[in-house]
Amino acid sequence: MDDLYRQIILDRYKNPVNLGQINDGLKVEDINPLCGDHIKIWLKIKDQTIVDAKFQGSGCAISIAATDILMDLIKGKKLKQILSLSGSEIEDELDIKLTSVRKRCAYIGLEAIKKIKNSFSGL
Amino acid sequence: MKSNFPIFQHHPNLVYLDTAATALKPQSVILAQTDYDTKFSANIHRGLYQISQTASQLYDQSRQNIADFIGADFSEIIFTPGTTSSINLLAKSWGEPNIRSGDEIIVSLMEHHSNFIPWQQLAAKKNAVLKLIPLTADFTLDLNSITQLVTPKTKLVALTHISNVLGTINPIKDITRLIKKINPKTLVLVDAAQSVAHLPLDVTNFNIDFLAFSGHKMYGPTGVGVLWVKQNHYPSMSPSSFGGGAVSQVFTDRTIFQPPPYCYEPGTPPISQVIALSQAVDFIKFVGWSKIIAHESKLTDYALKKLSSIKNLKIIGPQSHHSGVISFVFNRPGLPAPHDLGDILSRQFNLAIRTGFHCAMPLHTQLGLDTGTNRLSFGIYNTLADIDTLIKGINYSLKIFS
Repeated sequence: MDDLYRQIILDRYKNPVNLGQINDGLKVEDINPLCGDHIKIWLKIKDQTIVDAKFQGSGCAISIAATDILMDLIKGKKLKQILSLSGSEIEDELDIKLTSVRKRCAYIGLEAIKKIKNSFSGL
Repeated sequence: MKSNFPIFQHHPNLVYLDTAATALKPQSVILAQTDYDTKFSANIHRGLYQISQTASQLYDQSRQNIADFIGADFSEIIFTPGTTSSINLLAKSWGEPNIRSGDEIIVSLMEHHSNFIPWQQLAAKKNAVLKLIPLTADFTLDLNSITQLVTPKTKLVALTHISNVLGTINPIKDITRLIKKINPKTLVLVDAAQSVAHLPLDVTNFNIDFLAFSGHKMYGPTGVGVLWVKQNHYPSMSPSSFGGGAVSQVFTDRTIFQPPPYCYEPGTPPISQVIALSQAVDFIKFVGWSKIIAHESKLTDYALKKLSSIKNLKIIGPQSHHSGVISFVFNRPGLPAPHDLGDILSRQFNLAIRTGFHCAMPLHTQLGLDTGTNRLSFGIYNTLADIDTLIKGINYSLKIFS
């Protein structure tokens, strides 16, 4: 029905599987001042590896769905690998092509995740 | 009416519902701008040659025309780059010399950032108190609270005429009467950005002290706006930006400024924009207030009725005194967020609405609208068919998310 709002995005928006908090996790967040999307992510990290990831926030379907999928993508990955993740990998995962305005929506989780740099030296 | 707006020749199917952000430009305004650039592109008040005199004459006539339009005097019109600059100029040129520690400035919760931040920052700098007029449950200003907020220490009340989010039309004349009854020395600034093209303004009738508006929201060009200052406040103000054209004599140790408004307009002004803004005034007068008001009320009533019939859609605005600015949200999880709706309407229906916080974050925060709102707003070129397309687009979007 719509090239952008595919079933995977709608499903992940309505029923995100990685919603929640991790009590002793590292918290990172990002805000998109343009539309107000606000995403908070909690990461459980062991031996420089993400062992669990959850998120909460408010935003549009694209930002929520993309962040939910991002949580799947980063679990089991080394911190260094995560820092090299690019926005296009998220677009590939969602199987969509985004306009520049909507890229900011899809990348909000990624922008938040990259802030782990501030908590770990030598990354 | 669409035939007066050349953008529709380039985008015949465009449904433009974002006049609150910027109004489209009629042919006469576009011509006025290009006429300056092609026929008498000279600086003003400086050259002795013919085209400079032509430009100067048109520039001065434009100031008079714009002054007449709001019931003001020629010298009370200060040209600025827009509403934001107008209010910042006032905060610097009037606020800085007049606001002292312990003074109070009152703004409302429905202000656009441009009529909020300059006063918030000035209050912080001067150790003054910033007070907020709250809203009623019907999204109007709580007029009862105004009588409690205004005190002998209140120096300024800065208020919008029409909310750029809620569409609420504030009864400026009544509010000013309330304020001045409690403290006749309290000055009133009105942000008329959202009203100048939609309701007749008369600064004398309003009994206010300052007024700000932008050219581009009234079918004029970008880059020009107005700060109106009631003449008797000029002695308490001083220039806050400096340069050529605003001075009569400059010595190595001091400067003698031109009288207002010129001392507040240093540098080469936006000449073609001012001349084109005057054309925008003529365009509004040509269409006529009765026609503008009747047409926009018809559109507003129709849109409110149609939107109200959509399930899970909540209009964020008052029951009555509603201008042609309408905001709404879907109030059930899993439905399109404003950004989603705006995107689908644009791609599938060539329809322009605005989504987000509309530069009014304190308002959205207070109302708990954490993903913003969807906003449509009307201009003289809109039709009932535009609203039908919007309703079709909303239903289509809801179907995608169902």
